[in-house]
Amino acid sequence: MAAQGWSFRMTPIRKLLILLATICVGVCIFRLATGLGLVTNLNDEWPWGLWIGFDVLTGVALAGGGYFTAIVVHVLHRHQYHIIARSAMLTSLLGYLLVMAGLFLDIGQWFNFWRPFVSWGHTSVLFEVFWCVSCYTTVQVLEFGEIFTERVGKKWHTIFKNAMPVLMIVGIIFPTLHQSSLGGLYLIAVDKLYPLWWSTLIPYFFLISSFFVGPAMICVESTLAGNAYKHKVPVEVLRGLAKIGGWFMVLYLALKLFDLSNRNVWDLVFAGNLESTMFLIELLFGVIIPILIVFSGMSKSRSGLFIYGLLVSGGVILNRMNVVFTGMSGKTGGSYFPSIWEWSVSIGLVAIGVLVYCFVVENFRILEHEEHHA
Amino acid sequence: MAKGVLVDLTKCIGCGSCTVACKLWNDKKFSVEEPTVGPAAIAKLTANNWTVVQHNEIKKDNETVWRFAKKQCLHCQDPACASACFAKALQKTKEGPVIYYPHLCVGCRYCMIACPFNVPKYEWDKAFPLVSKCQMCSTKVDKGEAPACVSVCPAGVFQFGEREKLLQEAKSIIAKDINYVKDIYGEQQAGGTSWLYISDVPFEQLGFRTDLGTVPLSTYSHNFLKYTPVVAVSWGIILTGLYHYTKRRNTISEENKNVKL
Amino acid sequence: MENRSAKPQSVSRRGFLKMLGGAGLAGVAANITGCSTDQAGGKGWMPQQYQVASSWPVQVRGRVPIDPTNPSITRDDKKCILCGQCIEACEKVQTVMGYYELPIKDDITCVNCGQCTLWCPTAAITEVDHTEKVFKALENKDLHVVVQTAPATRVALGEEFGLPAGSVVEGKQVAALKKLGFAGVFDTNFTADLTIMEEGSELVARVTGDLKKPLPQFTSCSPGWVKFCEYYYPDLLEHMSSAKSPQQMMGAVVKSYYAKQKGIDPQKIYSVSIMPCTAKKYECQRPEMNSAGEKIGKPDMMDVDAVLTTRELARMIKKKGIDFTQLADEKYDSMLGEGTGAAVIFGTTGGVMEAAVRSAYFLITKQNPPDALLTLTPVRGLTGVKEAALEIPGVGPVRVAVCSGLSNARKILDEVREDLKAGNPLRYHFIEFMSCPGGCIGGGGQPRTSLPPSDAVRQARLDSLYTMDAKMYKKRLSHENQEVLDIYKNFFEHPMSHLAEELLHTEYTDRGKQLTAKKKA
Ligand code: SF4
Ligand code: SF4
Ligand code: SF4
Ligand code: SF4
Repeated sequence: MAAQGWSFRMTPIRKLLILLATICVGVCIFRLATGLGLVTNLNDEWPWGLWIGFDVLTGVALAGGGYFTAIVVHVLHRHQYHIIARSAMLTSLLGYLLVMAGLFLDIGQWFNFWRPFVSWGHTSVLFEVFWCVSCYTTVQVLEFGEIFTERVGKKWHTIFKNAMPVLMIVGIIFPTLHQSSLGGLYLIAVDKLYPLWWSTLIPYFFLISSFFVGPAMICVESTLAGNAYKHKVPVEVLRGLAKIGGWFMVLYLALKLFDLSNRNVWDLVFAGNLESTMFLIELLFGVIIPILIVFSGMSKSRSGLFIYGLLVSGGVILNRMNVVFTGMSGKTGGSYFPSIWEWSVSIGLVAIGVLVYCFVVENFRILEHEEHHA
Repeated sequence: MAKGVLVDLTKCIGCGSCTVACKLWNDKKFSVEEPTVGPAAIAKLTANNWTVVQHNEIKKDNETVWRFAKKQCLHCQDPACASACFAKALQKTKEGPVIYYPHLCVGCRYCMIACPFNVPKYEWDKAFPLVSKCQMCSTKVDKGEAPACVSVCPAGVFQFGEREKLLQEAKSIIAKDINYVKDIYGEQQAGGTSWLYISDVPFEQLGFRTDLGTVPLSTYSHNFLKYTPVVAVSWGIILTGLYHYTKRRNTISEENKNVKL
Repeated sequence: MENRSAKPQSVSRRGFLKMLGGAGLAGVAANITGCSTDQAGGKGWMPQQYQVASSWPVQVRGRVPIDPTNPSITRDDKKCILCGQCIEACEKVQTVMGYYELPIKDDITCVNCGQCTLWCPTAAITEVDHTEKVFKALENKDLHVVVQTAPATRVALGEEFGLPAGSVVEGKQVAALKKLGFAGVFDTNFTADLTIMEEGSELVARVTGDLKKPLPQFTSCSPGWVKFCEYYYPDLLEHMSSAKSPQQMMGAVVKSYYAKQKGIDPQKIYSVSIMPCTAKKYECQRPEMNSAGEKIGKPDMMDVDAVLTTRELARMIKKKGIDFTQLADEKYDSMLGEGTGAAVIFGTTGGVMEAAVRSAYFLITKQNPPDALLTLTPVRGLTGVKEAALEIPGVGPVRVAVCSGLSNARKILDEVREDLKAGNPLRYHFIEFMSCPGGCIGGGGQPRTSLPPSDAVRQARLDSLYTMDAKMYKKRLSHENQEVLDIYKNFFEHPMSHLAEELLHTEYTDRGKQLTAKKKA
């Protein structure tokens, strides 16, 4: 297979993506050389903006499909879902690499990124996030080694294959910890984050939502990839996954309702201000409607599942954005809207992700994995 | 013993000596675009302004009065910023000051999110930007000197000394003089701060946040983080258990299938 | 040749790129290796008096507060070294700062005298600069720009051009102003004489009982002093002469009498004054200083549009490259240009008193004063408080006091207050107050001297004014000023006429509510 050489098809869309990616790389270099003031609209009132909000917080959540599948397929051994395992894990790996890129761009002393490895600020939630994300990304790279060595450096393949169970389990512990601690970052913003989002339970909300966004992303991704690569994952497989997600959404919803009552903030939910509106949109379209879809006949169709996936992913994105922006705006004052350069980097990073995904899928056994086993 | 500063806002005349002292001592840039004295809307803490004196016009007994409020880092007893720093670039010293080590800073700005008083600022215009905030002149404090801003005030606004004593002093001042509001800002806020304020007008009218709790903010993170090791270990055990259990179950059902066949 | 020049070029280009890369890498490396592991801050300096353990008292500490909207003075923080000299000036010389209780009320107490601008060693405190504003007005073809010069600038401006202190540069100053493009150059001496007519008449009226206002009468020509009285002695404002200062009289006259005589729309007149004083910048924008406008229903039109200090005028002359010392003397423009020796000594402490006495004598006796009254030695000189008693036929002994520098004013005012409270017999009939030590010759807008503002320089300026009075001016009595006599004939009719009250007199504001004055210790 190695002899076949590498292939990468060129299409107009891909050309556009390459253009976006190139712009992004240019802006990144400029940013690293000149600091944050020229490129971003960040300011003292808004120290965290699009890059942290979208590229990092949302990116990590959306890449949650990896550990979701790992649990379902490799720990619970639901082999009917094996068919999506590799692509889900690839997406997850790419997601994390992009998150790392986003983080690297966002930190002011980028050449000092390694400092927390030696100077331990262990009282910080960010410390946990940092370690877990770093370790998990490493683990994922190793996991991908199994696929990679199928084609390159074959002699290592068995080592990787044997190491897989351990990697898998470690690779679940880490995301469990950091998905929740990403929410935990905001625990300390108790006097800043709007009470509709701030809660001592926010780590668990982040954790559960990162878990159920996994199947949703798989639905979206496999529909898109399926169209592009004529690789259709059976509807039943997707529906099964979505249902697992559905149960977690029910759990999430119940916890939310409990939390709102427990903290006595129902009046804020219907206050009619910006915060309450955004909160309701997030909950209605991101959680309640998808639950209805997945447990009804609508989820029997591919398009139903696709819509489900979109709604849930959108809901999680909105949730993260609400935490970073809507929820913080009341107490911070000042104003922030991402600059065109911030957008171009965020969009460009996604473009890079898509391009690499396409390249890997076309050159490694990702989608046709099951057929080879058969 | 931890040092502190008691700020009697009723005495401030808005001369701005303190802000100049801070810039002289800490070698900070003067800039017309970033005034250090004026209404809160224009006199803001920035990377260059570690302290500002904010001018407030306040209704008091049917009269408008001018009150100045000197702002800088409050040097929390249990600082949120330091607890949030994942590289230990911000540290609380036992003498009181919360200080910043640039060489440890990664530039994540989580301290800015964490600080309930919005004190840490960022050098947005620098190529390799750092966080920037009042150090309580800790090198001076170490030598037994008062912070620069404190030492230059011509109006007797400040007292420098041990926080505990200053707290007693503040209590006796507000108990004796009916003009003061019966509250010491910094005694309790977010777990208490090294800088304490007394005033004759309500603190919220001077731009102080009065909606803060009395619990140090790091408590919230701590209550979450303390479970990390337990969760990691037990989750690992559960996962391993499940892995073997389901694998075995599958094998058994396979075998059963095979037997039937 | 070509080869040789081509070679270094290519080398240098590579070198340049190398250097760029090197610099970038070096910067990063310096940061990475963290050359310094120090905490932030503490890398600057502090004046020595602040580098002491604990917080013991120190002799000088901090600086004066200055409101950002102060019309007279401003400070560049960049230049302030916290030396505390401004506090010495404000608190010790002028007794303004530190004489009110804390908390403050709704004002940053400042009498705008500008003494701090003379004391500040780095010139961090300066006048609010209006030179640009005046240059703009001069360039505006629609405006008729006129200027007046105070008595004291003519003995100080020369210092800015290397002349010895006290050099008389009256004619050169006029010449320079004409070169700068002013359409009319007038002498504040003219309105100083006018002030004497009004203020002298008022004094006579108080003495004779025609005016139901108390004695002693206070002079009112020093705006810093006026504001000081409004702040700290509002209960004594009744004693303040209602006559405006010469600057404001000139302003009102220019936009009424002069405009009428010349047939110019007063709204097209831009009136500038050259003053030794920063408080004049404040005075000209006091809301009531719009009498000429008020009269024609345009209350927005101020009588004086811009005030420049002696220092600012020097800067303008220098900026235009005018070789001041080489200028040939020129004369003030007529109609508002004549002044007497009595007027020119307005610029020094005791001068207003002496001028007033000369004309009061005349107003009461209808005769000119004897020679002894033309050199009233007891009120001359830099001493802070001076007293004199003179015999005026028909009135008896008139007792006067003169003080300059507000710490001296305080002493006399406290006496007056106590006398009133205790019902003591009248100690003085007339008191001259000047805000700055030595009077206008030591004004806050005058050229800076070696520090602290030196008495030698003040004395030289003062001597010159008396020399001008005695030797250079043809007339020494205000009531002999021909142009003053003309303005009464053509316009005001007589001192304290209805029109004169409208244009030449004013009212004062009780500022006692803006601070809590400290009780006398
Ligand atoms: S005020 Fe803010 S920056 Fe200062 S010690 Fe407290 S948390 Fe840290
Ligand atoms: S304590 Fe020191 S660093 Fe902090 S505001 Fe005062 S002078 Fe500046
Ligand atoms: S030095 Fe003192 S009086 Fe002056 S602004 Fe600062 S705190 Fe207020
Ligand atoms: S005299 Fe000048 S330099 Fe000295 S403290 Fe005052 S303003 Fe600052």
